[in-house]
Amino acid sequence: MAYRMSVRTVVIQGLSVLILCALMEIFAGNVMESMKERLTVTIPALILMIPPLLDLRGNINGALASRLGTALHTGVIEPKLSMSDELRVNLTSSLILSLLASATIGVLSAGVGVLLGKSVNFLAILTIAVVAGFVSSVILAGLTVLVAIIAYNKGWDPDNVTAPLMATIGDVITMVSIFLIVLLVG
Amino acid sequence: MGVYSIRRILWESYPVLVVCAVISLSAGLILDTQTDSIKAFPLILMMVPPINGINNNVCSILGARLTSVLHMGVIEPSFKKQRVLSKNTRATWIMSIGVFWFTSAIFFVLALLGGFGIGSSLVLMLAFFVASMVAIAVTMFCTIALAFVSFKKGLDPDNVVIPVVTSIGDICGVTCLLIAIKLVLGV
Repeated sequence: MAYRMSVRTVVIQGLSVLILCALMEIFAGNVMESMKERLTVTIPALILMIPPLLDLRGNINGALASRLGTALHTGVIEPKLSMSDELRVNLTSSLILSLLASATIGVLSAGVGVLLGKSVNFLAILTIAVVAGFVSSVILAGLTVLVAIIAYNKGWDPDNVTAPLMATIGDVITMVSIFLIVLLVG
Repeated sequence: MGVYSIRRILWESYPVLVVCAVISLSAGLILDTQTDSIKAFPLILMMVPPINGINNNVCSILGARLTSVLHMGVIEPSFKKQRVLSKNTRATWIMSIGVFWFTSAIFFVLALLGGFGIGSSLVLMLAFFVASMVAIAVTMFCTIALAFVSFKKGLDPDNVVIPVVTSIGDICGVTCLLIAIKLVLGV
């Protein structure tokens, strides 16, 4: 089988998505910087869970996007916004996974914080992890379905376009959710 | 019967996610040990999501492409010189250099607006750029190695390779960033 790959095509398609992602990541960084007091002083152990919480969203939604992409291409799901059994199973499992894993991250971070000798507010850390995790998951689950369907209809490459886009949107939404919950919790 | 089962998706994904959470938590731990530097220079926080996010995006694209060509039999799972492998790494380098120059330039402008002089803003921009290039090099190597290992062991690329790559990328990104900033600013 002949395999053709043009470095130029990959670079042009990849770079345009990445530049867009870079702008969104800088915005997420801006939000993170505005929490500097809370990250370094007022809420011990909060900074520990920022990288894992951001990653989690990218991982779950990246996998969801690629499962949906496969399901669309194999005809299991139709490219329109209606609830089918397959779609419901995918969404439900992503939400459950997100809640479970967010809670795990909260517990791990609080535990590590305690081991480091910090005065960790266990309840606050767990609340931030779970609520931020849940809020961003619900928003992202909807967006992922939307983006997967648009990507399918427009013929975007799932590897080069959909996955990076979803990971970055996930970073932004998670960071903003953490910011809002942190404001509420204190 | 449906194609998907909630139980199967949970069962397959949760353990990997926990492993990844532990790896990423190390990146958080590295940040936590450097709170003094962060207090002295909060712009570090603004640089964390971009260096990690872009590093992860670039390497996820590479990981996804490599697992596809491995399955198509176009490349073999070994580090010897292969045309399609070197084309993919070249494309990844070009994309990384392009997107990180762009990001570094934005940080140059942000540093200027934040009251840094032209000289220190330039130094900061270069520090971010060099840090990102080192982080990309290390994460790329890990991505290629992981793609080979997962292919040989028959692991799912979407559920295993990409999540692990992004977690390793977090550690590389945060470490390179902090070292670079400490070197140029001495904070």
